[in-house]
Amino acid sequence: MLQIIQKRKYAYLFSGILTTASLVLLMSWGLKLGIDFKGGTLMEVQFSRDPVPQVSEVEKSFADLSLQSLTVQATDNRGMLLRYLASDENANDRVLKNLQSFDPSVVQLRTDFIGGSVSDQIKRNALTGIVLSVLCIALYIAWAFRRVSGAVTSWEYGLGAVIALAHDIIVVIGIFVLLGRYYNIEVGVPFIAALLTILGYSVNDTIVVYDRVRENLLRSQRKEDFEITVNRSLNETLGRSINTSLTVIITLFAITIFGGDSIRYFGLALLIGVIFGTYSSIYVASALLVTRYKMKTK
Amino acid sequence: MRQHIKKRFHFAGVLLLGLVCGIIAYPQAVRFIPPLFQAIEKLKVNEGLDLQGGIHLEYKADMSQVPSEKVNDALAAAEAVIERRVNAFGVGEPLVQLSRSGTERRIIVELPGIKDIEQAKKMIKETPFLEFRELADPEAAKPFDEMNGQTKLQAQTILERATKGEDFSALAKEFTQDPSLKDTGGDLGFAKKGTYVPEFDAIVFDPNFKSGEVWPNLVESQYGWHIIKKIEERPASSLSQQGGPASASDGGDGDNREVHAANILFMKRSIDQYPDLMWVATGLTGKNLKSASVDYQSQGVGSPQVALQFDSEGTKLFAEITKRNLGKPVAILLDKEIISQPTVQNEIVGGQAVITGNFTMQEANNLVKRLNEGALPVPIILVSQQSVDASLGQSALKESLLAGLVGLGAVAVFMMLYYRLLGVVAVVALLLYSAMLLTIFKLSVFTPFAITVTLPGIAGFILSIGIAVDANVLIFERTREELSYGKNVFKSLAEGFRRAWPSIRDGHVSTLITTVILMAFGTGFVKGFAVILALGVLLSLFTAVVLVRVSVMFMAGEWMERHPKLLVSPKKLLE
Repeated sequence: MLQIIQKRKYAYLFSGILTTASLVLLMSWGLKLGIDFKGGTLMEVQFSRDPVPQVSEVEKSFADLSLQSLTVQATDNRGMLLRYLASDENANDRVLKNLQSFDPSVVQLRTDFIGGSVSDQIKRNALTGIVLSVLCIALYIAWAFRRVSGAVTSWEYGLGAVIALAHDIIVVIGIFVLLGRYYNIEVGVPFIAALLTILGYSVNDTIVVYDRVRENLLRSQRKEDFEITVNRSLNETLGRSINTSLTVIITLFAITIFGGDSIRYFGLALLIGVIFGTYSSIYVASALLVTRYKMKTK
Repeated sequence: MRQHIKKRFHFAGVLLLGLVCGIIAYPQAVRFIPPLFQAIEKLKVNEGLDLQGGIHLEYKADMSQVPSEKVNDALAAAEAVIERRVNAFGVGEPLVQLSRSGTERRIIVELPGIKDIEQAKKMIKETPFLEFRELADPEAAKPFDEMNGQTKLQAQTILERATKGEDFSALAKEFTQDPSLKDTGGDLGFAKKGTYVPEFDAIVFDPNFKSGEVWPNLVESQYGWHIIKKIEERPASSLSQQGGPASASDGGDGDNREVHAANILFMKRSIDQYPDLMWVATGLTGKNLKSASVDYQSQGVGSPQVALQFDSEGTKLFAEITKRNLGKPVAILLDKEIISQPTVQNEIVGGQAVITGNFTMQEANNLVKRLNEGALPVPIILVSQQSVDASLGQSALKESLLAGLVGLGAVAVFMMLYYRLLGVVAVVALLLYSAMLLTIFKLSVFTPFAITVTLPGIAGFILSIGIAVDANVLIFERTREELSYGKNVFKSLAEGFRRAWPSIRDGHVSTLITTVILMAFGTGFVKGFAVILALGVLLSLFTAVVLVRVSVMFMAGEWMERHPKLLVSPKKLLE
């Protein structure tokens, strides 16, 4: 049997460093926000022939179009990505006409425009969504474990799961702060969707372990030390915790590697979240139960 | 014995379900029965705009000018107008719907397969503004006469300075009103006869006008008053261009000379340069229009005409206008541009008019359509747009389907290797799950809850493949555990299904909670993902628990007890 719970101070130390580092990164550098949160336009175009105009030339040609914070970035396959804040609804038309002066058959592959009022609303919704999910999951676990016996109450089970969840999404956010800083990866609505999905999915493993703890507590009738019971439950469920996550990790790898640009980073956020979610279910969520038990019985 | 029949009956149900869903999901399987194949092949998954290409527009309706009790009527009217306008594009199934965001009222427009996005946006929003104008009172031109008088006086004083020998190019730089010649000091370069307006031409080619002199009088042309200096002249042969400065004596005669001149222009202004001043509103506009139609009778004679019929107020106004302007022109403006300027021949009391612009048939038809639709009852402001080119959508679809196949294959291999025969059953159930989900997508089109499959939706589907086997993993692990306690295979299986249930239920509920919150969250990307993930989670619960159970129980028998290792890999007891 693996002595997982007994070594919990190492897990606490590791997770503590990870979450603190993530929070420090978030507060100092911050996430690189996409147009979903900032408002603005993202236009992807594809030129019909080589050579593709130079980025600097294109930038220069936009000088008198009065576009705010314009950035131009070359992509694969003769593509170009333009980001700007539009002053009015016809700005896209002028941008496209301007690009047509370089290549009359340039194709507008994709254009996303988010107005200021919409991005504000997205921000509010994102925050509400996350808070609401965490609350609902805590409530559900508290309710599902309402008949649990022993010193630790069902509310504390819910709280343990939620702390583990918070840990998971904070780490994902921390990693995306780094990705934004070094690889210019922006976060938008898909990132928030990934975070919420991580909340809903990662708690599954925690539930499996807690479920076993509940079952073993009923069987052992307190003849066994709580710490031993939790550790035994963890060992008994280790195989399924890893295997359930593994199947999801396999599919998420497929999305991240083969999925194309628009869902790749969505898949990556989920992947990181599920990996850390599995870790925290095993090393953090159950350990928290034991820590709480010790606090109460001392 | 009855138990046995029940098992077979259940399993037959699973097979039938598999057969039906399999055929609907993959109609090519029944290619050899053409009528069935053709019928089923018609069922299609409803692809989102990000896959088939198209545009999603969200407008905010500005309700500030609308009294609160009329808000719903105004919105419905706006929706109807936009619907008619987008129907004119002729793209497959456009969608116009109203939505609410807090206190804001929004109108969502989706146009699948549209090519010219910017044109479409213009057509949705803009109403053609038709207007009749008449000539302004002659008084209106008076200020221009005064202005021109002053300009001429100024020109006169500069002319005096130029003839007294002041530097011509310096004067030109300071005073010319021809911006293109400001930098060159009015220098026009060499030119042949006939290059300039006649009044100008006549002077510069006047034989009495010597090189190096300034013409002593102002020269008036349609543009205004010119002060002209002749710099040099030469024969217009290409050879002489290489020679030194030519003089009048060796110049050719008549047309065969080139003159190098400079000019200071004082511009004349007239009311016809300012249509807004020249033409004044008559009060007759598109709102007085009863109907418009293309006048087919004129077809072939010239370009098609647009016939207008005014309402009663418009008829009265038009009669007054034509009476007032007999023998004079009136202007017809569309979106502030004069498209026609006919002269009134007689008073028109019937309220009918025709516009003879230079229309093509297509333009005439479009104009008529748009005039008849009328204006939007409320102003709308674009708040968000997502557009995707069809080619990008197709490549994204291919990529994500590849990701799905790889994911499905890898999960299948893992399950079969790790759980042996039970794994094989789980994989078959997983295939059935995929077929059922596809069937639901295809059949949902006929219900009010049509499911649109978007790129994030496919991501949700791929993710759900991984989640779908979770329930099986939990059940099989529990079975292995029960086996390791020394229970017989049948008992272990039954226990596995029974005891894994609470964890399966709780896990699925927590995922469903977040998908419901995601759906409420509402944006397109999230919704597409959440709907399919939620559907997948629910459906996989059915396949992984009910279908796998029915199949395993059907297979169960004596052989299992003899070969438990074939069924599932054994588990070592915990020390």
